[in-house]
Amino acid sequence: MAITRRGILIGALAGGGLAIGYLLRPRHFPLPLSPGRDEYAFDAWIKIAADGVISVAVPQVEMGQGVTTLLPQIVAYELGADWRQVAVEPVPPSELHANPVLAARWAPLWMPVFPGLADEPDSAITRRWARDSRFNVTADGSALAAYEAPSRAAAASARALLMQAAAARWSVAWEECQVSGGFVTHEDKRLAFGALASEAVTFTPPDPPPLRPNPPAESPGDFPPGARLTYPRLDLPSKVDGSWTFASDVRLPGMVHASIRHAPLGSARVTQVDEDAAIGMRGFLRFVRHDGWVAAAARDWWTADTALTRAKPRYRVAGGADSMQIDTALDEALRLGAAERIHASGDMDAVTGGLPLQLRYEVAPAVHCTVETASATARLENGKLELWIGTQAPELARAAAARAVGIEASEVVIYPMPIGGSFDRRLEFGHAVEAAILARELGQPVQLTWSRQQEQVAGLPRAPAAAIMAARTDSEGGVAGWRARIAVPPTAREFGRRFFGGETPQDAIASVDGEADALALEGAVPPYGIPSVAIDHVPARIDLPTARMRGNSHGYTAFFTESFVDELAHRAGREPLSYRMAMLGKDPRLAECLQRVATLSEWGGGSDNSGQGIACHVMRGGRIAVVASARRDESGVRVEKLSAVADIGRIVNFDIARQQIEGGLIFGLGLTVGCSTRYSGGRPDTVRLAELGLPLLADSPGIEVEFVESDADPADPGELGVAAVSPAIANALFSATGYRFRRLPLFAEEL
Amino acid sequence: MSRMTVNGRPVEFDMDPQTPLLWALRDAANLTGTKYGCGVGDCGACTVMVDGAALRSCLITIAECEGRFVTTIEGLSDDRSHPVQQALVAEQAIQCGFCTPGIVMNGAALLARNADPGEAEIRQAIPNLCRCGVYPRLVRAIQLAGRAMRREETLSAAPAPGIAPQDAARAVPALGPAPATDIPQGQ
Repeated sequence: MAITRRGILIGALAGGGLAIGYLLRPRHFPLPLSPGRDEYAFDAWIKIAADGVISVAVPQVEMGQGVTTLLPQIVAYELGADWRQVAVEPVPPSELHANPVLAARWAPLWMPVFPGLADEPDSAITRRWARDSRFNVTADGSALAAYEAPSRAAAASARALLMQAAAARWSVAWEECQVSGGFVTHEDKRLAFGALASEAVTFTPPDPPPLRPNPPAESPGDFPPGARLTYPRLDLPSKVDGSWTFASDVRLPGMVHASIRHAPLGSARVTQVDEDAAIGMRGFLRFVRHDGWVAAAARDWWTADTALTRAKPRYRVAGGADSMQIDTALDEALRLGAAERIHASGDMDAVTGGLPLQLRYEVAPAVHCTVETASATARLENGKLELWIGTQAPELARAAAARAVGIEASEVVIYPMPIGGSFDRRLEFGHAVEAAILARELGQPVQLTWSRQQEQVAGLPRAPAAAIMAARTDSEGGVAGWRARIAVPPTAREFGRRFFGGETPQDAIASVDGEADALALEGAVPPYGIPSVAIDHVPARIDLPTARMRGNSHGYTAFFTESFVDELAHRAGREPLSYRMAMLGKDPRLAECLQRVATLSEWGGGSDNSGQGIACHVMRGGRIAVVASARRDESGVRVEKLSAVADIGRIVNFDIARQQIEGGLIFGLGLTVGCSTRYSGGRPDTVRLAELGLPLLADSPGIEVEFVESDADPADPGELGVAAVSPAIANALFSATGYRFRRLPLFAEEL
Repeated sequence: MSRMTVNGRPVEFDMDPQTPLLWALRDAANLTGTKYGCGVGDCGACTVMVDGAALRSCLITIAECEGRFVTTIEGLSDDRSHPVQQALVAEQAIQCGFCTPGIVMNGAALLARNADPGEAEIRQAIPNLCRCGVYPRLVRAIQLAGRAMRREETLSAAPAPGIAPQDAARAVPALGPAPATDIPQGQ
């Protein structure tokens, strides 16, 4: 029987392989994996070649978080492969790789009118929307939740097919065969996957797919320091020799290099460019002017960028973001603005009016400072646009680029490239549009790379926020009523207008003016058993467009909550750890994190001058407790040690999870001491990385991380590490100095 | 004309002599392992070796490199065998990988002058900015690389690129040409 891809697809659909998760009734979509010579596709996830190489589709972008290892690991485990035979293939957006988990979480952004209809990943509307819009966005720690089940099911189906093929050769029952190390075995017979692949695709897989009894899991106890890794990361060998290719490393025949200057944030346009200044520069080609930017193209990037510097572009700015305005707007919103209650539990009378303790906290805008700047390579030939780009949202970038040059999205080919640290910065895809326009204007392949200055100037920060935290205590000093009033722009909705609606940053701000935004306050409900809790959002209007960032609102809500609860403990004369523990009867998992981090860090009670501070946080089912040891010194703060214990449920890859928590702690440290700028006239005051207080190895604290053994559903470790660091450090500084730091970044008032 | 030796080969760049070495390497020589992160010496992603010293290639012009010996990440080893490369992979002290080539070059330059550096020396010798936060593993990794360099330990964490299929098949039973007949186990 001749095997066609279509035949395989139908077979898999009938057997349920493709049906997992998405489809109510079979519909046909092109396979995102194209089998090469002697290769056979199993579902949308796996190709097996006759020589035994197994290629696994990775529909999420690699930006350091390890997804290029994680999803193949799931497939290798379920399939019974040898890790050394596994290859990976980043795949372009496909209906078969939709992310219904993130679609459900972001329902308020793409379906703002009735988000309640689509806020569950298995709702029919969500699944259909995610599939039809090829929504495979990489964000919010959704990769495992969205893709473990379908990739695992595909692998289980493929394993059954391989067993059937072997069993047919041996004339035995396929259920009696065993699979491991890339072989199907039966008694003394064995056959490699590669030898079976061509026959396996002719069989029909059992429905449902015969999953192994246990999901992939690595136990923290199996990985003492120095332990050999079972599934080492697949991407590291090529990252260590410079051969791992980022978007700016693409080289095409006839390609030129471009640099760009953007008008300041706000309603701004380019008014003047001294084009004569570039005359005579070796390798210079020409300038390209557009609404909000001007670019230069040359044979090499430095010449293009230098031409722009010499051309001294001028801009007309109206309503450029300004920190004085931002401060005033947040202050007025906090004091006077109309609030919408986004969470209420218990007796609202207990949280109404002037509560006995009210304290104010503030968090400044935070900038991403990715080391890689935005870059995209574009080639527009014969009405077809090819785009090499690192993006968390490939399908939306594709559509935007198509619109910009007036072609159909189906005429745009996206080559998904990895990202050099995104932290959600590459959810924005303006550089895709710019590269497409440049390719059209220049009439030849072009690589656009933003300068560092442009990355800081035109990159949108995480929103600033301010809060009044209020509480009423009971007779023992415990918390009886808790109210958080948080002034912050409706930043998630604003992002949604740009992201899904294609609005300009300024239009997006206007569109969501006054709207309450629960996503902008995620993490604000305290994890404690408090009888009455109210969380209020005051949507502040500021002129600064704002964006998503690793940790998102948890970065400020955890700071508000955990600083405030620490203050409550001290005012009640109670030890901060036991004060928290007393309120965690309903969350034993978080309580265990706190207990264990106390042991790990040799917690001394956080008493006067100890320099130790504690904090904890819950994010999407993940739990973390952090103890910081910090001191005040002449440069601001010296963080000597960060200890963390996390419970992220079942852990698929232990060392990647540890990397993510470690990295999250460092990222959180950056947000605590720096990563911020003031704005004037739509321009950030600080653009140099060296002036942004970013942690370096020289001042990196000692880091110790432990995980709680758990078989709960997996929670993503990527963002969890970020949130509790800031309050732990602020609480440590209180212990060290007796002074409360209620602003982030710390010491901002001194700068 | 700016002439120098890059990874052992004589090179002459037909570019403005004021061009930073970084852009000659990336855009003229297509040695893209050296990364651009800031252009002003803040991040260290563009670190290469010039006459054996780790330098930020964004801060040195090709005119200043005249007659000198430049080594980039591509020229450090041709098979990922440098102890620093092996150790960074062994410790998984890499995440997104963008800052990694610069870290490797600083680490390699450090070990070339002192194969047994202390923690304080390592912390000072690697000024690279890493936003993913691999710092907690870096000191350990460089010390591991030092032990490998001193031949106290062997490392084989990162396989060489371009392994021939027949060599791969010798090491990995599941790989190889499809067998024509059943192979009884245990032979």
